Amino acid sequence: MADLSKEPFNLIVAGVGGQGNVLLSAFIGMALVREGFTASVSDTFGVSQRGGSVTSHIRISRGVACSSLVLEGQADVILGMEPVETLRALGEFGNRAVITIVNPRPMQPTGGVSYPDLDEVRQAIIKLSARTMFVNATEEALEMGDPIYTNVILLGALAGADVLPVGREAMVEVLKARFPGALYDVNLSAFKKGEELIRDAAGIFS
Amino acid sequence: MSGTKRGSRNLLEDVLKAGLCTGCGACVTGCPYMAIHEGRIVVLDRCTIEDGDCWRHCPRTPTDVSGFSEKTQGVPFDFLEPGAIIAVEMVRSVDAAVREKGQDGGVVTALLAFALDEGMIDSVVCSKKDAGGAPHGFVARTARELLECAGSSYEAAFTLEAFRKIPAGNADRLAVVGVGCQMEALAKMKAAAPVNGGNPQNVQLTVGLFCGWALRSDIFRPLLEEICDTSRIVKFDIPHSPGTSFDVYTKDAGKISIPLDDIRPAINPACQYCWDMTAEFADISAGSAGSSFHGWNTVITRTPRGAGLMKRAVAAGIIEIQPLPESRMTKLKASALNRKKNALRNLARKSGTREDLGYISGLPAGLVDALLKD
Amino acid sequence: MASVIAADNPGAAVLLMGNEAVARGAIEAGIGVASAYPGSPTSEILPAIADVSGERDIYVEWSTNEKVALEVAAASSFAGIRSLAVMKQNGLNVALDFLVNLNMTGIGEGGMVVFVSDDPGAMTSGNEQDSRMAAKWFDNPLLEPENAHEAKEMVAWAFEFSESVNLPVIVRGVTRLCYTRGNVVLGDLPAGMRKKARFSDVWDMYNPTKSKFTATPSPVAHRLLHEKFEKAREILENAPFNRYSGPDNPELLIIATGVSAAYSAEAVDVLHLKERVGLLKMGALWPLPKKTILQWLSRTKNVLFVEEMDAFMEGSVMELWAGAGLHDGGIRFHGKCSGHFPPCNEQGADLVIKALTDILKIEHQLIDADYKREAAEYMRLVPNRPINMCAGCPHRATYWAIKNAIALDGRNGFVCGDIGCYAMGFGPPGFFQARTMHAMGSGTGVANGFGHLGRFGFDQPVIALSGDSTFYHAALPALVNAVYNRSNFTLLILDNGATAMTGFQPHPGTGVLATGEPAPVVDMEALCRATGAEVMVCDPFNLTETTQAILTMMKKNAGVRVIIMRHLCQLVKVKRKIAPRYSMRVEPEKCIGESCGCDRLCTRVFGCPGLMWDSRAGKAMIDEAICVGCGLCADVCPAGAIRKEEVH
Repeated sequence: MADLSKEPFNLIVAGVGGQGNVLLSAFIGMALVREGFTASVSDTFGVSQRGGSVTSHIRISRGVACSSLVLEGQADVILGMEPVETLRALGEFGNRAVITIVNPRPMQPTGGVSYPDLDEVRQAIIKLSARTMFVNATEEALEMGDPIYTNVILLGALAGADVLPVGREAMVEVLKARFPGALYDVNLSAFKKGEELIRDAAGIFS
Repeated sequence: MSGTKRGSRNLLEDVLKAGLCTGCGACVTGCPYMAIHEGRIVVLDRCTIEDGDCWRHCPRTPTDVSGFSEKTQGVPFDFLEPGAIIAVEMVRSVDAAVREKGQDGGVVTALLAFALDEGMIDSVVCSKKDAGGAPHGFVARTARELLECAGSSYEAAFTLEAFRKIPAGNADRLAVVGVGCQMEALAKMKAAAPVNGGNPQNVQLTVGLFCGWALRSDIFRPLLEEICDTSRIVKFDIPHSPGTSFDVYTKDAGKISIPLDDIRPAINPACQYCWDMTAEFADISAGSAGSSFHGWNTVITRTPRGAGLMKRAVAAGIIEIQPLPESRMTKLKASALNRKKNALRNLARKSGTREDLGYISGLPAGLVDALLKD
Repeated sequence: MASVIAADNPGAAVLLMGNEAVARGAIEAGIGVASAYPGSPTSEILPAIADVSGERDIYVEWSTNEKVALEVAAASSFAGIRSLAVMKQNGLNVALDFLVNLNMTGIGEGGMVVFVSDDPGAMTSGNEQDSRMAAKWFDNPLLEPENAHEAKEMVAWAFEFSESVNLPVIVRGVTRLCYTRGNVVLGDLPAGMRKKARFSDVWDMYNPTKSKFTATPSPVAHRLLHEKFEKAREILENAPFNRYSGPDNPELLIIATGVSAAYSAEAVDVLHLKERVGLLKMGALWPLPKKTILQWLSRTKNVLFVEEMDAFMEGSVMELWAGAGLHDGGIRFHGKCSGHFPPCNEQGADLVIKALTDILKIEHQLIDADYKREAAEYMRLVPNRPINMCAGCPHRATYWAIKNAIALDGRNGFVCGDIGCYAMGFGPPGFFQARTMHAMGSGTGVANGFGHLGRFGFDQPVIALSGDSTFYHAALPALVNAVYNRSNFTLLILDNGATAMTGFQPHPGTGVLATGEPAPVVDMEALCRATGAEVMVCDPFNLTETTQAILTMMKKNAGVRVIIMRHLCQLVKVKRKIAPRYSMRVEPEKCIGESCGCDRLCTRVFGCPGLMWDSRAGKAMIDEAICVGCGLCADVCPAGAIRKEEVH
């Protein structure tokens, strides 16, 4: 488990409204508090909550609570639930040292707005990150039968990447507290799937 | 100019808002952004296509009338004549019931029913009035359905919208009945088939209707509602004599005559720019103008295909024919030419110059000046 | 899972959202009654209390509007039971008429807290406002917490404060406070029997002045209010929520309220200014603790105010300074007056850093300029993600029908919109149909007015929209007014079975209480019929029928016509595990995509998020991760390429 290399340590979770990033961020926050850290978890919305971009700011410290929002260019880790949103977050919070974990499945904007070339977006993410790991979370979730598992798969990937000061035990405890019975089992297997995927994801260094 | 590429935005600005829409119905064929409602073309949403069928098929976007005439009629175009002519005759249906339901001689209904019967065509694109409502495009597949569509509507009928009711890939051979502007639109549709909609290439026969003007249903219908129960209307007529009354036949009240002047406000202003009284792009054109007697139609047979049908119909005893007196022929030609002069004059007035005749292109140089000199 | 909100585990640190912390504070204070009308960013407070209402013996209700909520809470206070009323900024406006009078009469023996949240940046609202002004306007005690933990502490403390000054206390939040999760250290839960509720001040015929809860004679009541206010000020001078950190004689004093205090602390930290700059973090704002403030003003020559929205402290402190005759000292004030902060939108530490570097003339480079330049170039790839309604949302169907009906009608009809998810109708999700949008119920109210303009030549048909919850909240009086005064419009009530925008709270039409228990249904249709309006009910997913219904109602052009558009919110369907009705697919060979005759009608205009455009193939696709199988796009597709199959 990584210790708090920096105070505050800043994690950005970037996604689209409805992807479940708010819940994912809350899970991370709960795990952090469980481990004795001071956490602040705050979401910012783009144009809207529904179908718009949603960015969660997770700030980790010991002792005094931080303010809610990560300053420009100050993310340590970016967890991108969607490629374009990951790139958007890199533009605002990225820096030469940032580690990026990305779910490469695009979510198309609506209202006639077209999606950029996916390869270009991938390349840009790699260029703007010190290290990038792609995790096919949505594909795996669909294979499990419901896209709803995407966020827990990504939680597993985040735990497996060993970039946060909080490890898998605390996160699994949070899942256990949150999901009753059979739901816990399926979410745990989603979590494990994420851990597996990140193990296989060769980090791409820019 | 017929190569101009434009889309629905231009159609909205340059045709609909410019008061040029004739109500032919071509633009809505296969288009989800436009609809017809109570006698109006309605734009439902913004389309971004810049090379659209709506513009391409509209009879009031630039049209090479000479080129299209040659293409559809197979003979060189003479703007001074009422189109290609093989014969001009007085014709009527032998069946009195058809005459009663149809207009004057009931020839159009009789001919098309015969064409359906003998298997020349499978269905007829025409217009139909539902009880109390404005006419709309309709695909008649039987003689019985056809008879329900008989009789002049006097209203712009958006006939060609019926193509949207023909499923893609349908191979039915079609006849189309319509007025001049609709024949122009159909010629354009045949020249470049719509992307989404029935296939005008399957049209085997076109029957044109003489047209002086058409009424706008959105203005005409409220006028009608003031004088009768529109759901009980059977037929309209403008009798030759005295020529100043508009007769509405209803199931309950019989004939109600309205002074023609009372319904003039409902005449589509776009009709003043129309050059084509006799539907020159059709195989056969029919109407009452020129006929000597009540109960007969004047019929212009224009193409060999039309002539063949006429011949077979006579032989089968469906229609009967008598020659059109010379004086009537002269009068018919004069009115057709007069219509063209008026259209050119009105178009020149609209644009402010004889150089710009709006949608009409392809006229021989000097012709316009010659026609408008008086 | 047992609710962490009611965990009897004093001293434990848990992660709570600001709203949950407010709920916990009220529970720790032993409230007996909580009432609210849903409104983001406060919507989670009441459900958090409702979750434990049984075990903690608390009466909770979703009231039909905020004024009623405040009245319900006040009665509890009158009878000696502590109560909490919750509302967003717009709700406070609705409740103000009662609050103004409640201040005059004073409360009962039960403390009363009104939690109001503003929404800087209008992230979940149609407007921005600074509700703190109401405290100054109507003489209300006012507190403002910095973070979730302080929110819990402050709400609990506010009940005692309220009881000691006999006034309702406003605790003001902002969206960032309400929706940020942070560590909260739990306190003790109340133990023992709750006291009996009793309206003790029975009117005494020998001493009529004891009729306590009427503010007459008003001048006397008003004077009494100001006397209470001076007592309140004394208490706030020593409140635990105003803290100073920094040097004894700071070069610059920051006075910051609420969440702005945290932004300020971070800015001071980032710029390493702890030796030069002092931070007076204020949580107890009104009545202004004059002594505390003057004491710190006297030790500096530079003051920077950091607060979101209006210059509430800034103006009040400058007034105080001017009135205290301390001009000799010569203080320079900075804040909104100096242009360092805007009077609108959310602020963050970055703005404080900018203000400090400017005022103190220091250099600071937060970000790597090279990286920023490189990143900026890639941002050309990042498209906007426009606002949208959910896949399967019935409002999309309703707006599609409205759009077509208005176009077909051809008289330039328009829509008076209202507050709720369907407010998105001003943009692409509603095909730009909603043309006015103001307060709850205003669609119907404004339509009332349009409906009388025929005498001045006005000939456009008017459609008013109201959500189901909005209908009970404020549209009903407007409907009654419309029928009574013979207005002329069509009201569409978008009945999706929940207060969807704010999180699917029940309302009087749903048959469910805040606690989830069954409730009598206040029949919307019967209510509308009782007004005398012509009423019909449609399922907006029957597009053709719905369009025709709207068209027919528009054409009537006299009187008030109501169409109830009834279809369950898609998210509620998901919550209730209602399976998708159709399985959807696109037949690519039939899809004509960008060609004439389609022009991407489904993805460009209709715009359901469950549809994707495959630009390489030039075909539409169903996104199975998002599509909910409502089937509507199959009815819209002009080429018959989108197919729906009933799922059995």
